[in-house]
Amino acid sequence: MSDILLSNEVIVFLFIQSVVLLLLGIAFFNSISILRYWDFNSTSSKQFNLEKRSYLVVLIILFSLIVKIAALPFFAYIIDELALIIPGAMCGAGVITANAYGEFLLPFKVFILFITGIWLILNKQDIKTKNFLYLEKKFWLFVFLFMLIIFEYVLDLYYLTNISTEDPVTCCSVIYGEQSGSELPFGLDTPKLLILFYLLYFLTLFTNFSKQAFLSFVSNGLFLYFSYYATVNFFGTYIYELPTHKCPFCMLQKEYFYIGYFIWGSLFTGTFFGLSAFILKTLLDKRLKYTFRFSNIFNFIFVFICSFYVVRYYLVNGVFL
Amino acid sequence: MTMVKIEKLYKIYNQNKANEFTALKDINLQIEKNEVAVLKGVSGSGKTTLLSIIGALKKPTSGLLEVDGEQVARLPDGFTSKFRSQKLGFVFQSFNLFNALSVKDNVIQPLIPLNLKKDEIEQKLLKALELANISHKKDEMVQNLSGGEKQRVAIARALINEPEIILCDEPTANLDKQNSLNFIETIKELKALGKTVVVATHDSLFEEFDFIDKIIKMENGQIVE
Repeated sequence: MSDILLSNEVIVFLFIQSVVLLLLGIAFFNSISILRYWDFNSTSSKQFNLEKRSYLVVLIILFSLIVKIAALPFFAYIIDELALIIPGAMCGAGVITANAYGEFLLPFKVFILFITGIWLILNKQDIKTKNFLYLEKKFWLFVFLFMLIIFEYVLDLYYLTNISTEDPVTCCSVIYGEQSGSELPFGLDTPKLLILFYLLYFLTLFTNFSKQAFLSFVSNGLFLYFSYYATVNFFGTYIYELPTHKCPFCMLQKEYFYIGYFIWGSLFTGTFFGLSAFILKTLLDKRLKYTFRFSNIFNFIFVFICSFYVVRYYLVNGVFL
Repeated sequence: MTMVKIEKLYKIYNQNKANEFTALKDINLQIEKNEVAVLKGVSGSGKTTLLSIIGALKKPTSGLLEVDGEQVARLPDGFTSKFRSQKLGFVFQSFNLFNALSVKDNVIQPLIPLNLKKDEIEQKLLKALELANISHKKDEMVQNLSGGEKQRVAIARALINEPEIILCDEPTANLDKQNSLNFIETIKELKALGKTVVVATHDSLFEEFDFIDKIIKMENGQIVE
C-alpha cells in the first residue's frame, strides 16, 4: 500500500469518490431499466412507476454530480498539499507528474466536468418540460458519463497508489521551465501567442454576442487551448513576478492568494458555456441564450484577472518582465 | 368540449404487496365543459379517490386521465401545483379553513403564490365573495361563522382563481337541509357561469335537480351506472 494513502486528504477524496460511485452505480442500473422499458405513450402502471422512479434517479444523479464538481478543486488542492511530502515536488506540478497516470488524469477530470455540465443543463431543460421530452437523451448521456466516471475512479486509484514518497520527482521549473523542452505550440513565440490570445478572446465575444453556436464552439475551444499556454508561459510569470517561473499549479497556493482557482475556474466555466452552446443546440434542437451570456461573463473574468496582473506589475515597476 | 376524460383508470394501493387494495377499477368517464356531474356512492365506494385523482391530489396506478386536455396525473410536481392553482377549485367536506383568520384572509389564500397587486387581489376577492353570497361577512373571523357560512367561504376560496372546474367532496355532509339546498343553488349559479362542477357525495338530495347533467353511481371502486 502506498504511503500516499496515509494522507488524510487522499483518504477523504477516495472516500468521497467511492460513495459517489456507489450512488451513481445505483442510478446507472435504474437508468438502464428506465431506458429499456420507457414508453411515454403507454398509460400502464409500469410506465407510471418508471416516471416516478426517474425523479428519484435524477435526484441521486444530481446530488452525486454536484459533489463531483466540488471534488475537482479538492483534487487540485490535494495534489498541491501532497507536494509537502513528496521529495522534489514544490507544487502540484511535481505530484501530478509523479507517475504516468497523473498527466492523463487531470485533463480527463476536466473533460468529465464538461460532460457533467452538459448533463446538468440537459436535465434542467428536461424538468422544464411536461412530457419528459429529453429524458431518454439525458439518461443515455448519463450512461456514457458513468462509464467515464468508472474509468476515472480506476485512474484515481492507480494514480494515488503509485505515488512514491521516496523517489524524488521533478519540480515545476524543470517541467515547464526554459530547459524543459516544452515549447509553445505551432512554433509560436510569446508575443504571437499573446496576440492570438486576445484575438481569440474577441472572437469568443463576437461569436457569443452574435449567438452563433458552432462558431462559438470553435472559438471557445481554441481559446481554451491557447489560454492554457498563455497563462502558463506569460500571465503566470506576472502572478509569480518571476520571468522564469512557469507553472499552472503554484498559483493555486496560499502565497498567491489561491488566485489559480479563480483563473482556471473562470476559464473552464467560460469556455464550457461557449462549447456547450453548440452541443446543447444539437441535443435539444434549440438555442439556449444564457450559455452565450455566461460564456462572455466568465471569459471576461478570466481575461481580466490575467491582464490585471500584467498591468499592475507595469504600474508598480514601470517595466514589463 | 371534453373537460375530464378518463379511460381504463386504476388506483391500487400497496401494489404487489400482501395488503394490496384496489380503490378504483377500470374507470371510464367523460365530463363535458359546463356539465355538473355527481359521483354518488356509499362510504368506501371510491368516489373521493376518483375526485382526488381528477384534482391531481393523487396519482392513478394506470390509465388515462385528461383534465382540460392535460394529462395531469403525469405532470411533474411543479406543473401539477400550477395546474391546480389555475384550473381547479376545491370545496372540502370539513371546509379546511383557517379558523384563526378572517373570511377575507381565508379566501385570498390561493392568490398568495401568484404575487398579484393589492388592487387585483381586492377585485378578485369581492367578486368571489359576491358569487358565494358571503360579502357581508368579509371581515368576520371564521371561527364565529355557522356551518353554512363556512361552506360559502370555502366556495368563495374555490372561486377566487376563476377556475374552470370546481371539485366538491361531500360538500353537504356537515350542513342542514336548508344550507344544503343553498349550496346546490350555488352550484346551479356556477353552471350558469359556464363552470364545470364535479361533486362526490352520498347525499340523495342532489338527485332531485334537473340541472345536474350526470349522476355517476359507484360501488367497490367501479362505476355501476
